[in-house]
Amino acid sequence: MRVNLRYYALLREQAGRQLEIVDTAAATPAALYAELAARHGFRLPASQLRVAVNAAFCDWQRPLEDGDEIVFIPPVAGG
Amino acid sequence: MNAFEFSTAPIDGTALAAPLARPAAGGFAAFEGRVRDLNEGRRVTALDYEAFESLATAEGARIVEAAVARHGAIAGRCVHRLGPLAVGDVAIWVGVAAAHRAEAFAACREIIDAIKHRLPIWKKEHYADGDSGWVNCEHAAAQGAGAAAFDYSRQRTLPEVGDAGQARLAAARVLVVGAGGLGCAVLASLAGAGVGEITIVDHDVIDASNLHRQPLYALADVGRRKAEAAAMRLAAYNPELSLRPVTRRFDAALAAELVAAADVVVDCTDNFATKFLVNDAAMRAGVPAVLASIYQYEGQLQVVRPDRDGSCLRCQWPEPTRDGLVGNCAEAGVLGPVPAVLGQMQAMEVLKLLLDLPGQLENEIVLVDLLAQDTRHLAAPRNPGCAGRCVRFGAATAAIDVDVTLPLEAAAAAGYRIVDIREPMECEFEPMPVSGHEAVPLGRLLDGGLQVEGSRPCLLVCAHGVRSRAAAEFLRARGHANVWSLRGGLAAQAP
Repeated sequence: MRVNLRYYALLREQAGRQLEIVDTAAATPAALYAELAARHGFRLPASQLRVAVNAAFCDWQRPLEDGDEIVFIPPVAGG
Repeated sequence: MNAFEFSTAPIDGTALAAPLARPAAGGFAAFEGRVRDLNEGRRVTALDYEAFESLATAEGARIVEAAVARHGAIAGRCVHRLGPLAVGDVAIWVGVAAAHRAEAFAACREIIDAIKHRLPIWKKEHYADGDSGWVNCEHAAAQGAGAAAFDYSRQRTLPEVGDAGQARLAAARVLVVGAGGLGCAVLASLAGAGVGEITIVDHDVIDASNLHRQPLYALADVGRRKAEAAAMRLAAYNPELSLRPVTRRFDAALAAELVAAADVVVDCTDNFATKFLVNDAAMRAGVPAVLASIYQYEGQLQVVRPDRDGSCLRCQWPEPTRDGLVGNCAEAGVLGPVPAVLGQMQAMEVLKLLLDLPGQLENEIVLVDLLAQDTRHLAAPRNPGCAGRCVRFGAATAAIDVDVTLPLEAAAAAGYRIVDIREPMECEFEPMPVSGHEAVPLGRLLDGGLQVEGSRPCLLVCAHGVRSRAAAEFLRARGHANVWSLRGGLAAQAP
């Protein structure tokens, strides 16, 4: 399964990119984040993030499908 | 009856008050301004009033209507004399009818102050020594003779704005929390648009490192209070506005007071704790809140609409305890246009709300990436298990102490029934360090999914002790006295 990823803020910095296309066997955003956290060294636990699939916030257990666009959103507070 | 009129005949207050009588008007306040016999040390025997009638009539009516609307009065009017007057004559009459005396007095006071301050009216004084002279009214004295008035014609021309829209802006009260990068952009645009009353809250002082992204401040302002410097700068920019700087720290009490008195609140702060204070106060008061945050080259924008039963900040982010987890402007750096763009987007949302323009954001979060110039809308509907439900239903009972400070093993050994109220996802990422606990996510708990027995103490646990505290207070308020919250949550437990 191939999915499109978009990173923001701290995750963009740690991944060193804003966009990424990955081939994965992860069935859910939770599993996918665990996989990516290991690869990119993300320090934020998933409990501090929100995930959106295809432009809507969703549950971490939502099943993923080929071609999904997944956005991991870290909290941001600057003003 | 026009809300503001000139009269060359003597003023009869009783006759002017008659059309303001309403069955619902339990209060009526009137003010009469009379010709005095002394002005700046000189004996005055008579006066002549002159005015730019067309301009003063239109502006006078706006002042009366705005004051009536702002204070929730029922009706008001003002009549100003023109021509020759003798000492003791009534020069101006203001009357306001309202349900209660407080609104009547307040609107009456505002009308007379604004008329004296803003209308182009002049008087020629005749003195006892035979001399005479034209005296600028306060309007002219304050602005200098011949100075231009702030002109909204370019936005008034928009069919969706017009005179009615401009009057709505003049009557609007907006609270801006934080006068930093976002705040400077928001304030400049709201002041330019003619938002009548702007309250600026910031307890911070200007640092030289702020200047690159906070153009309301000059180098010479370093060390001054931001709220005061911003108010002074904006007063010079648009003298028609009522600007109220507040330099107290924005705590829960101040938030409740200021948010309830505003039509819209704009969050321009730089930390989660204050953003959640703004969110919670807005939810309790039913006041829309426009929130934004920035990080380096990006920003997030969200409009919270309790007035439309919309989603709130807590629907997406259950806990306000992440300060320190992600960098702020000082640690991570920021380019000046980033807060400027996001702040202008906030100002746009405020004007859309006040003018009831189409396209108002609700139930979504906008992610703005200014490197890619990419703007993305993520649907963010109300979360049925939102921790904000406690806020929405107004449980402000912080006085009860529900916190317990104990290692979890000790709590279990002491006979506490331990209930993990985190979301299933969080439990998976960070399992409970003790066995024998139950899992009842907060949303289910608030829906009555936890059966509490009176005899056994029940200890609620979450990540940082914030949700568990709210849940414990929620259950206490429903008569369950033996419910407790683990102080600091799992984060405070020794590894």
